[in-house]
Amino acid sequence: MSRSAKILTQFFGMENLFQIEVYLEQGGYQAVKKTLAEWKPEEVLKEVKEASLRGRGGAGFPAGLKWSFVPSKTDKPKYLCVNADEGEPGTFKDRYILSHNPHLLIEGIIIASYAVGIHAAYVYIRGEYEVLAERLEQAARNAYEKGFLGKNILGSGFDLEFFVHLGAGAYICGEETALLESLEGKRGNPRLKPPFPASVGLFQCPTVVNNVETLANVPFILLNGASRFLEQGLSRDGGTRIFSVSGAVNKPGIYELPVGTNLREIIFNQAEGLKSGKKLKAVIPGGMSSPILKADEIDISMDCESLAAAGSMLGSAAIIVIDDETPILEVLKRVAKFYAHESCGQCTPCRLGTSWIEKIVRRMAEGKGERGDVDNLLRLAENIKGRTLCPLGDAAALPVLSIVKKFREELETSLLA
Amino acid sequence: MSSEFSPELRKKIDEVLARYPKKPAAILPVLHLIQNERGFISTEDEKRVAALLEIKPIKIREVVTFYTMFFRKPIGKYHLQVCSNLSCSLAGGEKIVEYLKNKLGLQNGETTPDGRFTFSEVECLGACEHAPCLMVNFDYYGNLDKEKIDRILGSLD
Amino acid sequence: MVKISINGKPIEVNEGTTIFRAAEQAGVPLPHLCYHAAFVPEGSCRICLIEIEGLPKLELACATVVREGMKIATESASVREARRSVLEFLLAEHPLDCPICDKAGECKLQNYYQDYGLTESVFREAKKKREKKVNIGEKLILDRERCILCTRCVRFLAEVTKTHELGVFERGLRSEISTYNGEFVQNGYSGNLVDLCPVGAITDVEFRFKTRPWFLVKGESICPLCSRGCNIYVDYHPGFPRVPGSAKVYRIRPRKNEAVNGHWLCDSGRYGFVDREFRNRCEKLVWKKGEKEIPLSWDKILMLLAEKIMSLHFMKKTDRIGLVLNTGLTNEELFLIKKIFRDDLNVGKIFFVDPQAGAGDGFLLQAERSPNARGAREVGFDIRSVRPAELAGIKILMIFGQFLTNVHSLADLKLALDRIETKVLVTSRSGGLESLVDFVLPAAVVAEKAGSLTNADGRIQKFRPAVVPCGDIRPEWNILVELAKELKLNSGYYGRFSEAEAVFKELSRERPFFGTPT
Repeated sequence: MSRSAKILTQFFGMENLFQIEVYLEQGGYQAVKKTLAEWKPEEVLKEVKEASLRGRGGAGFPAGLKWSFVPSKTDKPKYLCVNADEGEPGTFKDRYILSHNPHLLIEGIIIASYAVGIHAAYVYIRGEYEVLAERLEQAARNAYEKGFLGKNILGSGFDLEFFVHLGAGAYICGEETALLESLEGKRGNPRLKPPFPASVGLFQCPTVVNNVETLANVPFILLNGASRFLEQGLSRDGGTRIFSVSGAVNKPGIYELPVGTNLREIIFNQAEGLKSGKKLKAVIPGGMSSPILKADEIDISMDCESLAAAGSMLGSAAIIVIDDETPILEVLKRVAKFYAHESCGQCTPCRLGTSWIEKIVRRMAEGKGERGDVDNLLRLAENIKGRTLCPLGDAAALPVLSIVKKFREELETSLLA
Repeated sequence: MSSEFSPELRKKIDEVLARYPKKPAAILPVLHLIQNERGFISTEDEKRVAALLEIKPIKIREVVTFYTMFFRKPIGKYHLQVCSNLSCSLAGGEKIVEYLKNKLGLQNGETTPDGRFTFSEVECLGACEHAPCLMVNFDYYGNLDKEKIDRILGSLD
Repeated sequence: MVKISINGKPIEVNEGTTIFRAAEQAGVPLPHLCYHAAFVPEGSCRICLIEIEGLPKLELACATVVREGMKIATESASVREARRSVLEFLLAEHPLDCPICDKAGECKLQNYYQDYGLTESVFREAKKKREKKVNIGEKLILDRERCILCTRCVRFLAEVTKTHELGVFERGLRSEISTYNGEFVQNGYSGNLVDLCPVGAITDVEFRFKTRPWFLVKGESICPLCSRGCNIYVDYHPGFPRVPGSAKVYRIRPRKNEAVNGHWLCDSGRYGFVDREFRNRCEKLVWKKGEKEIPLSWDKILMLLAEKIMSLHFMKKTDRIGLVLNTGLTNEELFLIKKIFRDDLNVGKIFFVDPQAGAGDGFLLQAERSPNARGAREVGFDIRSVRPAELAGIKILMIFGQFLTNVHSLADLKLALDRIETKVLVTSRSGGLESLVDFVLPAAVVAEKAGSLTNADGRIQKFRPAVVPCGDIRPEWNILVELAKELKLNSGYYGRFSEAEAVFKELSRERPFFGTPT
């Protein structure tokens, strides 16, 4: 297979791929058949670990390693929770997987559950994706009918029950422990870690929480092997990412490309540059929670390590392109509003800090900014960063810090105006 | 006073309850079922759900008020949810928001007097490649401009 | 055991100890708002963040378990800045209510601001307006502007009473504590929410606007309203009441005792205490002769009483002496009564009348509404009640407490008492019995004396005076010792009892039960 092989989006152009017959015709469920017939669970785990499959939800934690934290011997039931709460602004890749190829996800779920000894999987889908949740439920029903889900799958002796669980409008429920709280029927308040979900998760039982795209990669790894997967990437991290590209570009959309593809290439080749002849001002590379990059910082390899070294993050691989006719204050305004709205309110720095930042930015946007506001924004964001109960605090603070630091002059000029 | 749950609704609720080892986990799907049928979650329904799930009604209201997609009062027949997040605003979303507000005469969260439309500014809907976006109940519309909005509104009875 | 160091000082603690508790043990108390020893750590206020050497971020002291070799810094620059910023965040939306807020003077936010804050306010925005007077219980008012969402109240009702009257509605800055449709917190332990609230968000209707904590003296005592024996603080004004008619004692609060009442008090005791113990006090020695009241001193009454008792003693007619006691008397007092009247004087007619029993609540409140019935039995008494008719033939009657009027009508009592030559009432309260007796001796309440009580579990709890009594008031143990000395039957023996503690030592020598250390 060539380096530009599409792991996930190979058949996306095909109509009705979400129907199981069509999926089967394309070689669907071969990975499940092969795995259950030829592999032991610990072998599957080993292969996924060797593939260094990083989580594709935002944190980038290696999936195989996460799976290995679940105790193999326990008398509690184990659970898999699939994070389909796609809420990171700019991100829409999981929506495509759910709408175009839900069976690929189901396959990944079956194999992952088999590897860890899980017999019940819940897919937590954001409430706004209700139509897709129905599609996934239908796909699951078809999978049950064909014997890919339920008891004694394909005669292997392995059982897996599959449930779809619809969220109701809360970005914080994309955080794994808030997702568990929400699944248990409570407010989406993140939990203290440790203990981690691998030991104390859903209903206090060992639980794996994985993103949709992460699991969608598992069938490929099983069919083609870890090294093949690694080869697909350009950097040390293997595989591809589905980049969600939006903002002031000519061709917004999803682009499955090798991990490590250059950001400039994605913006100017794949997405065909900025629309209406505008010039580039800034790029958010990994979803709104990732620190912003200036126009002269986009010659960068889109992989976790490179972006971290540049002071940003790959996050959900959602690229938001900002043109030079957009005042940076407008960007800051949306950022500040979002986190204040989505804060669960549990811990002091996030609850009070995000709303304070929003109030300052809103006042600045109304033309009532004062000297000292910019320094205050920095100080408040610094006092949220690293001090909160869950990563939403950092997600709120880091973009503010990067925007204010990198575009300070523009912000201060707008204050004087 | 709202009526008791119909046998059909009860059947759906029971089916949902069977998916979870602990009853309270069914709160979200049960509330969705009720709101889809009745348009909102009334106090009486909070108590009914609480009784079914064997928890206190206050726990139901904690959930109803936490999540933005549940309502404690009836809203319009069509809930127009316009994205006000970054990618949509980069595509001119603010103009769409203003256009709709003026056309309907509504502020964020308000409902038209005839009960047809409720207008809300929401956060990222996950359809940024079609920015600016709008969700009508659960249906997505993208690449909006004034004409398209007029067409959409016209198609809603 | 795990060896760690805190601020350079080595300390050894049990495995599984949190940094917070370890710091407590090391004498380094850490600021905390959402943390409470009775609850599972919450980790939401973030004010207990400390530095652990080698870790990039500050960590929670309340939720982090110590590991061998951990080096913890609680006063580094980054820790101090983190604390300052938590306070700054909280104060951003906090109303400037201190001048009118009951909690001023005992408010964690104020205290921590003094220690860790002292920061100029740079908040220029409009604070979110919220309701300031939400009735959430019969005695409880919630002020949502002051609330810092530590959720201690919600968690108390979830983890301790398990009644869940309060919840958190909305999210983010819009989060608010609320009841369900105005349904009150009404589980018999609602008053604990006022103690729990670190700020003035939940206030007590009984205490609201009455005084300032810095005017109050805090004494330690035992609640005598049932046989649980909850440990309490008694908060009172020394000296004259500031406003005529207001009580000197303003409130009681729970004193932590893991073995008796944990961190809590029941509402019955908390709200009943001041009324039962400190209202309608009897403060003067009174000698009634017909319609006249003759001035009396302690020396005079003790001499008179001793004379009358001794004359019966010489005539070998001490069967004409009767005592009506109550099981609210201390172990020491009951012991003295036994020694003087039963042993020395051979008095047989010893009865008990107590407050009526109520319902126990399965947690702290006991059905028995008197504190020392167990003590009375262990001292060696049979607790038997009395009918007025049984008092026939008595020449000297000593009544301790006003409880007779709970059980018998004044008319019945008057009939019986009129036939008795000498009637002495020893009581802390004013009441109907005063009109039927000759001598009224004002007695101290538990909070005003030293002694010990034995609770329903057999736990002996010693206490010292918390409040200084006024007027002629004396503790019963002292009245009895002085009477015994006046009787001169065994002066050497009773002469040793200058302190209640001396009586207790003697009691424990004679009755091994009281020798058990608690």
